[in-house]
Amino acid sequence: MRSPAVTSLIVAAIVLASTAVHDAQAAAVVPPDPSALNTKQLVSNACSKCHGFNGISISPLFPNLAGQIPGYIETELKLFRQRGRSDPHARAFMWGIARALTDEQIKGLAQYFSSQPAAKGSGSSNPALADRGKVLYENGTPERDIEACTVCHGHSGEGVNTQPRIAGQHRDYFVLEMQQFRSGLRENKVMQHVSEKLTDDEIAALVEYISTK
Amino acid sequence: MPALAVPPFARQTGLACEACHTVPPELTPFGRRFKLNGYTLTTRPPLVSDTDEHKKNTLWLSDLPGLGILFQSTYNHYDRAPPDSAVPGAKAQSENLEFPQQFSFIAGGAITDQIGGFLQMTYDQPSGTFGVDNTEIRYVNHTQTNDWVWGVMFNNNPGNQDVWNSVAAYPTLDFSNQSLWSAGGAGGAGLSSPFFEGLGGLTAGPTAYVWYKDSLYLGASIYHAAVSGSVTSTIDSTNLGVGGGVVEGWAPYWRAAYERDWGYNSASIGLSGMYSKFTPSLVAGQTVDPGYVNRYLDIAYDWQYQYIGQNNIFSFLGRYTHENADYAPGLVPTFYSNSTNHLDEWNLTATYFRNRHYGALVNFVRTTGTADALVYGGNGSPGNQYEVLELDYLPWLNFRFIVQYNIYNVVKNNQNPFILLNATNPKASNNNTFDIGLWMDF
Repeated sequence: MRSPAVTSLIVAAIVLASTAVHDAQAAAVVPPDPSALNTKQLVSNACSKCHGFNGISISPLFPNLAGQIPGYIETELKLFRQRGRSDPHARAFMWGIARALTDEQIKGLAQYFSSQPAAKGSGSSNPALADRGKVLYENGTPERDIEACTVCHGHSGEGVNTQPRIAGQHRDYFVLEMQQFRSGLRENKVMQHVSEKLTDDEIAALVEYISTK
Repeated sequence: MPALAVPPFARQTGLACEACHTVPPELTPFGRRFKLNGYTLTTRPPLVSDTDEHKKNTLWLSDLPGLGILFQSTYNHYDRAPPDSAVPGAKAQSENLEFPQQFSFIAGGAITDQIGGFLQMTYDQPSGTFGVDNTEIRYVNHTQTNDWVWGVMFNNNPGNQDVWNSVAAYPTLDFSNQSLWSAGGAGGAGLSSPFFEGLGGLTAGPTAYVWYKDSLYLGASIYHAAVSGSVTSTIDSTNLGVGGGVVEGWAPYWRAAYERDWGYNSASIGLSGMYSKFTPSLVAGQTVDPGYVNRYLDIAYDWQYQYIGQNNIFSFLGRYTHENADYAPGLVPTFYSNSTNHLDEWNLTATYFRNRHYGALVNFVRTTGTADALVYGGNGSPGNQYEVLELDYLPWLNFRFIVQYNIYNVVKNNQNPFILLNATNPKASNNNTFDIGLWMDF
């Protein structure tokens, strides 16, 4: 004799399965071919798992994309696709994710994430360090041939043309990328030139300042 | 053998192991979502595709079948040579080389855009058999924002569907091949363990689950006897080999878990349980009908904390299981001393990995329960306690060396001559084992 509890479970499973199948039929126009997915489907199925549905990621291992300059997203996605960027996370995550993206999909993703509200900066717990960072960010150090960050990243870190927004980025991610530019793990001639002249203390000052933006 | 990292999933997604695993088989938050979404994430264009007149996709086949191989080999050295199994007073060799110890052929990945699966065939060297291992097929769907994910699946191992590595069906330990003399390893005949952890390959059934806002998981399953290799069309005495038995009717299994992620951190708490009616095979020629039915209620509470940083990974996993066993009146006191027994097990694991290359693991297991001389022998205590100490080196993420030392403090409360054959001086520490292992997949 089947117990009422077991019967209830069977019924619940069947109802849920029926609901799911019905939904599948409703959404059946979604093709599994990754190159045919639209922006929202790509974000939902793939990007959001690391970067958040709105481009704000939970783990600092993954950058915030909300409010990012669209041209920069496009450039990076194309670099990932052609394996032209080879820092460890690019290899482990983005080479695979980007390998089948079409130019149209890349443009759509860039528009989507750039239109999401950017993460807000927070107050600094070390204003003196942030002030040092501000001076460095706005003026650079001409005697050491370090250009001001504002030239490429804008007065408040909002990005310029196709140069990326760095305001609202995870602090740890910012530091990691600077270290990877410096070591050559992430290829970028301008940033390698700048970062190899910066000390760890100066990078800490810069991140302290930019995290307020 | 646990599923571990699965190369077909990497080939399908283009993602490296670290996307889904801290170090295999432990899952990252992304890995949990990949599994809960039915293994369907793919970045491979289809080689073969078809649609109907409504543009509904009717076929999707990638250019690459999702196949892979898992391989495991070990060298074991016992602290004290075990007694010879046939000659009183003589001793067997004190070490054992198994190459391979186990290996599996696996197939996994997307079958359609909303159905995925994992199929595993495993050769097990100690038993010398090759057969069906963990198997599951999932149908999954979700809302666009991923607030709700829901799935229906079928598998053959209660608990193997879990994504928090919290149950025995999906252990954290890669090389937990503790080798008790004459006992088949920890959790085997020599050591008591919760009943519901041993139903893999004996049952199969459906599960329905929901996953809400990347935080709350609720799942319900029902399992039926599904004896692998059964030679009869229905369960009868043929399936009741002495020492085994079959699940009677349907056994409900349930699981709830809550996960919260912040920064580099991920934490979860959970509850799982199973109510099983089981016809044990205690005598040759026994039949299911009229049969004697034991009833087991297992409830497990689990928790997990993970720190997954840029260079350092730390995990702490814990589980406490309480079991009540009610035995068929007709079997008491012939086969069971008491009409009711209970069992409690604590299982705690801590791991640390540096850059996914160097790691260490400590596992602690302690079991206590009702004494029952007919079940456990000796004075009847099911009490066990053992620890596993492990060092790991991964020159590549799919190629792992381990050095492991298994320490036994208590085995059946040290009262029973647990070294079953020709045993003298039966100390728990006689079972201490040093292992060198190799694991790889490709």
